[in-house]
Formats: sequence, C-alpha cells, structure tokens
Amino acid sequence: VTDPVQFMSHHTAVEYAIPEPSRLSIHFAERLASGRIIGHRCPQCAKVYMPPRGYCPLCVVETTGADEVEVADRGTITTFSVITPLQYQGQQETEDYVQATLLLEGADTTIMVMRMDGVAIADVRTGMRVRAVWAPEGERGEAVGSLARAMGFGDAVASWEPTGEPDLTRERIAEHIL
Amino acid sequence: VAATWKLEFPYRRSVGSVIGAFLTGLRERRVVGGRTAGGRVLVPPFEYDPDTGESVGETVEVASSGVVVHAAWVTEPLRTHPIDHPFAWALVKLDGADTPLLHALDCGSPDRAQPGARVHIRWRAETTGHLSDIECFEPSQAFESIEAS
Repeated sequence: VTDPVQFMSHHTAVEYAIPEPSRLSIHFAERLASGRIIGHRCPQCAKVYMPPRGYCPLCVVETTGADEVEVADRGTITTFSVITPLQYQGQQETEDYVQATLLLEGADTTIMVMRMDGVAIADVRTGMRVRAVWAPEGERGEAVGSLARAMGFGDAVASWEPTGEPDLTRERIAEHIL
Repeated sequence: VAATWKLEFPYRRSVGSVIGAFLTGLRERRVVGGRTAGGRVLVPPFEYDPDTGESVGETVEVASSGVVVHAAWVTEPLRTHPIDHPFAWALVKLDGADTPLLHALDCGSPDRAQPGARVHIRWRAETTGHLSDIECFEPSQAFESIEAS
C-alpha cells in the first residue's frame, strides 16, 4: 500500500449497565403481558400511580400490594406531538405520526409516548377519548424483563385508537396534564 | 437479569495532509514530524506553528527512540487503556524532535518511567496508518540487553 493515509477510524462507544428491574416493575410487566394495567392507590391521599412506584411522593408513604388497583385500558389524550421522521440510516418510520400523553381511567398519573393509530393527524386533539389496541397475547414484550426495565408499556400495547365517545373537557384533565 | 446497553459512534475522520503524512509514516514504521519556518520540529506535526500560526508544510523524519520528559504511572489500567497491566503515560521527546509525543510506556515499574529514561517505540505487528501502530514505548536498556545476549 502506497497511497497516503487520508482517513482514520475513530470508534467511540459508551456501555451502560442497566440495573436489574425491581420486583414491583416485574410485577407490573407481568400483569401488562396478561392484558391488565395496574397502579397503586396511596392509602393517604387516594391518588393512583400508574405504573406503581411503591410510594406516594406527595404523602411520602409506602404503597404495597395491598394498595394495588386496576386501571382501565382506555383514557384521554392530555397532550400530544406530531413526529416527522427524518430519514437516516436505520430509520424505520416513513410517515408523520402522533405520540400522545394519556390519562387512563382510574389513574391520576399520565403515561407518555403512546402511539396513536386509526385517526387522521389533523383530528387528534387534547381531550380525545382513546382505547388500547393490545398486541396479540404472547407478543407483549417477548421478555417480561425488557418490559419491566422500560417501566412503560413496551410493545404490550401496539397503539391507541379513538373510541368515538365525546371529548373530556379541559377542566376535567387540567390537573393531570403531565 | 442485569443487562448492558452499548451506544456506538463509528466515525471516519478526514485527517488532512499534515496528520496524513504522520499516519502514512507510522504505517511504514517511520515517525514523521513537521518543521516550522523557525526550524522547530513538531512531533506529532501540527498544521500550524503554535508560536506564529504559520502553516507547517515541510515534513521531516525523526528517530523512533528518545527520552522521557514526563510520565504518570497507572497502577490500575482501565478497560479502555492500551495495556492491561500497570504502565505509564509518558511524554517522549524523540531524537530529532523538539516537542514530546504522548503514548503508553510499558516498563514494568514506575522507577523506570523517570524523566531522562531512554525509550523506543514497540511497533504493532500489523500497521494500518493509525496512532495505535505504535503499540507503546519500552525501555531501551532492556532492548539492548536482549540484543546483547
């Protein structure tokens, strides 16, 4: 080889150790894999945290399995973003889509980055009622472990679609936006 | 189950003519520096004279052995270090150069990594035109005694 060197490879990498998921998040993930969404109701203020945290940060009290409640797989859009995918190597999205923050019935906390489907982007709005489109049973988080680590819904819920019910007013969701 | 997650950036950098000449030299197991208008020999070469800002175009070959200027001993090497046992990071002024080159010095103990120690380059078996073509520096006395025996 006699060509002068013009380039050099500069390989940079950071490796993260992902901690083992807690028993509570594994429990949440297992319930999710069976099609159920659970939360913890604070024994003091009665707010329902979903996913459960094992404590109420407002009352500073522990929550346990005794405080477990079921949350509906339907709720309301409190806010949303329209994502326009840039085309880079490895990008799998080609069309604009909506990621919404949802307040599920029976919960006081919202869940973020939920993908909307079955609705035109222009029709998506705050207050819109939606329901879960579950992934087929057996495809809800190939490993419960990965679901548990994400502490979200992973791929258990494929997307969310409008129910067609009347919107909730802004007043109804004002205390639960984020 | 604990897991790891790796984020990688496989950059390919353009090196330019001056660093390119240095890396081309390494590939041939030669050390190429740059001579400034004032006559200083910079190793590794810069594209500009740090004193005047003038371009450094002229290349000059220097020796592959030299003298330790400063060294810092590494008792517990990290996973990403070039040597997996205790070593020194050393600034080495190669014979013919006016500036020192930073690289690992594999010398066994910190008392052999003192300023003034004679060292030489241990070249990698296969060179590619990268700074890592220099595997490390090693003490020259050990080299000489092996040669003598």
